[in-house]
Amino acid sequence: MTAVEEKDHFFRNLQDNEDLMTGILGNSVDLVKRRITFHEHKNVQAICYYTDGLVDVTQIELFISDLLYKGNLLLHHSTLPSGPPLALLKEHMLTNASFQVVKEVSQAVDGILSGVAVLILDGSDEVFVIQTKGWEKRGVNEPQTEQVVRGPRDGFTESIRTNTALVRRRIRDPKLRIEQMNIGTRSKTDINIAYIEDIVKEGLVEEVKKRLRDIRIDAILESGYIEELIEDAPRSPFTTVQSTERPDKVASSILEGRVAIFVDNTPFVLVVPSFFWQFLQASDDYYSRYMTGSFFRFIRYLAFVLSLTLTSIYVMLVSFHQEMIPTQLILTIASGREVVPFPVLLEALMMEISFELMREAGLRMPKPVGQAVSIVGSLVIGQAAVQAGIVSPFMVIIVALTGIASFAIPNYAASFSIRLIRFPLLIAAGTLGLLGFSAMFALLAIHALTLRSFGESYLAPATPFQPKDQKDTIIRFPWWKMQARPVGVTGDEKRVGDHQFPEPPNTDPYSKEGGKSKESDPKGGGQSPRKKKRHVIKLKGEDEE
Amino acid sequence: MKVQISNGMFMALIINMIYAKAIGVTQGSMAREVGGDIWISTLIATIQGGVIMFLVIFVIRRMPEGDLIDQSARILGKWFGKFVALITFIFFLAAYGPVMSTFVFHLKDYFLPEAPTLLFILAAFLIGTYAIYFGVEVIARMALIGVFSIIALNILLMLGSLSEFDIRELRPTFQMGFLRTVWASRHHNTDWAMATIMAGIILPMVANKETWGKMGFAGIGYGMVFIIMWPILEAGVLSPETAAQYIVSCMQMARSAQIGYFVHRYEMIMIAFFALSILTQIMMSLLCASVAMQKILGLKDYRKVILPTAIILHAFGYWINFDKNRAVDFLEGWWVYISIGVAVGLPFLILVMGFFFKKKLKKEVVAEEAK
Repeated sequence: MTAVEEKDHFFRNLQDNEDLMTGILGNSVDLVKRRITFHEHKNVQAICYYTDGLVDVTQIELFISDLLYKGNLLLHHSTLPSGPPLALLKEHMLTNASFQVVKEVSQAVDGILSGVAVLILDGSDEVFVIQTKGWEKRGVNEPQTEQVVRGPRDGFTESIRTNTALVRRRIRDPKLRIEQMNIGTRSKTDINIAYIEDIVKEGLVEEVKKRLRDIRIDAILESGYIEELIEDAPRSPFTTVQSTERPDKVASSILEGRVAIFVDNTPFVLVVPSFFWQFLQASDDYYSRYMTGSFFRFIRYLAFVLSLTLTSIYVMLVSFHQEMIPTQLILTIASGREVVPFPVLLEALMMEISFELMREAGLRMPKPVGQAVSIVGSLVIGQAAVQAGIVSPFMVIIVALTGIASFAIPNYAASFSIRLIRFPLLIAAGTLGLLGFSAMFALLAIHALTLRSFGESYLAPATPFQPKDQKDTIIRFPWWKMQARPVGVTGDEKRVGDHQFPEPPNTDPYSKEGGKSKESDPKGGGQSPRKKKRHVIKLKGEDEE
Repeated sequence: MKVQISNGMFMALIINMIYAKAIGVTQGSMAREVGGDIWISTLIATIQGGVIMFLVIFVIRRMPEGDLIDQSARILGKWFGKFVALITFIFFLAAYGPVMSTFVFHLKDYFLPEAPTLLFILAAFLIGTYAIYFGVEVIARMALIGVFSIIALNILLMLGSLSEFDIRELRPTFQMGFLRTVWASRHHNTDWAMATIMAGIILPMVANKETWGKMGFAGIGYGMVFIIMWPILEAGVLSPETAAQYIVSCMQMARSAQIGYFVHRYEMIMIAFFALSILTQIMMSLLCASVAMQKILGLKDYRKVILPTAIILHAFGYWINFDKNRAVDFLEGWWVYISIGVAVGLPFLILVMGFFFKKKLKKEVVAEEAK
């Protein structure tokens, strides 16, 4: 049993309290213990504890000088027989925004280790806790893994409060709730859960909290720990919890009725529930015009199919079903393969593994070296391998195309899942031809169909088919068409108001309604009655107006 | 919580359950009997299938909480229930022969002629057992995607073959006589038999019981729409004589389809779309057989009998399809009598029994609802 568990309340005597704190915290070099004495006649002793590096020392200095001044003054006029008048001190020291009085030792110790200053006064079994958190932070930078062409450039940092603030700046809704909990018996990592109270799917918050509460672990060093401990399908290669560095992505998810989980010390925020198709969507899709967004989204779907199946289909066709390839093409492939001594499957596996090797090496090395490795790997080794007759030029093209396609998937974790399941598919296609490919594909499809993310089907809205949600799946419909939030949202279901189809004012001088603008038309701004009739859902609060 | 599927999923299951065999294997059998009138036989069979589906839905509606087996047990006791479960098991065991024929002949004859039959049986075993472990919901969701792939397959085939279509191949109608055309419809009735008995097992899991009838008939209607294109094109493009030469006439049809100069062989793409339908047949047959086996043994969960049931069904499927002559004899002979006998006889028997023991059944339903 630790000292904190043995004794959870402070003594009245300062020396006892000092011994208690030394017993718990030891003599770590970063732990600062400052002795303070009030009032030259009454000689009241106090100790201030804080952790160097986790606090803003200026704030502590300010607080102590304030305390000394007011403390002396109060003690001078005090009629109390002994001990400092804590209640009075508290009352007069409330200039500090985050000033608290606590009784529990564990609370004070946790506070010291998380960046607050604790002041223990002689003769009092209560202590002051002053919020003085302040440490070196990385500034808000552009996210490294999710860059966009159009859209905000700010990304999450390692500070949980900065991260919640980045989301709060985007959603100034009083219904946005951010709840706190700590996980990790030793790390006591701050975890925040964010959601909008009247939008979030019913029961989701409770389920998230329950899963988080059930975690028993010594430390949480990154949100990946949480992800693995709360996901629905821990044995699946598919990732069922979305992680992102982008505050706009989190804000948009929260607005769609999902829950965000912020973990201190990491820029990766988790979003639940998550759906497979979400991983193929990028923030740009919503910021670019809908045609551009839809086109690039379609390209990404294509990239997904290519990344998953291209190598397997090539191996399958060349090994087993040559008759399916047009004659001219098969002749070209055959001439390229003439000198290659390996079967196509082995050739493909060699190339795929080499590609993964180059990718991994390029990723871990310093940036300039990483680039050099990529160039040497892709150009020099690829070219040399073809000339040496180890691989065919066609195989190099296929593997390169597959690799590029996998990089086109915006989420790194999802891209990795696809790269992972490509291998069993490749081996099955290379050993059993169409039968192997279709059997393995069917098994993967069945597996994906069984997956759930916090009670929601992972492949929704494709299956189960949700016609309403198709407006944001393969094609991104224009904003004036995406009126409703996704299916399952409770309460405020509408996002976009009526008659949002933009139309310039009618400036035709010969028209009866010449020059009438949308604003001047109280009945719905220049839209035909047919268009108006289609918008039936009402925005929250519209009735009251 | 009881597993439930949506009405759309139920409809998708019906469509997929009949589609895979009906478009090719069945058409080949019918073409050998009535030539160019295969499309008329297909239509007649659809009407007969609709009547049987109506009968099954009517019977299940009397006691919506239980399937055909449960209802028989409530009417005449546990042993009668076990007898009906045994009949159902035998039905799906027999169904597995033609289902495996469809699966094996499509892949083996047209893509992997040198691969042993056992390999195809093992692949079906692996996929089937894995899928049914997760229950009807997963299969139903797959069937829903299957409907879209059926549409894609039909469009692809039309694109590649409509230019070759000759309506004269369909004329004159009823060239073998009206009765022979009706009689030939028995081959397609076997496909409907699988769908109706499946409905008799899974209907209690379908969410909205008020729309069972509507969805059942919608499934039949859409199924007919998706299937009828095949006999018309097979007769009009391949000619009835050529279609009659093949066990899997649809594959021959797919092989001869061509879009432009470059896309001259795309049957592999078509087989990819076809795969979901045949896989649904495999999974649902296996699932229904496992449920029947579970009820014979009086177990609470069918998952415990998945493996023995799958072994029996696949062993039978292998035995039937190991010899092609045996497979075709069974397909056009025994299977027709077993399937139509069970599909008509079983719901009718339960209907009549329910009529005689009306009061008892009502009492059981009230007790079930109170529970």
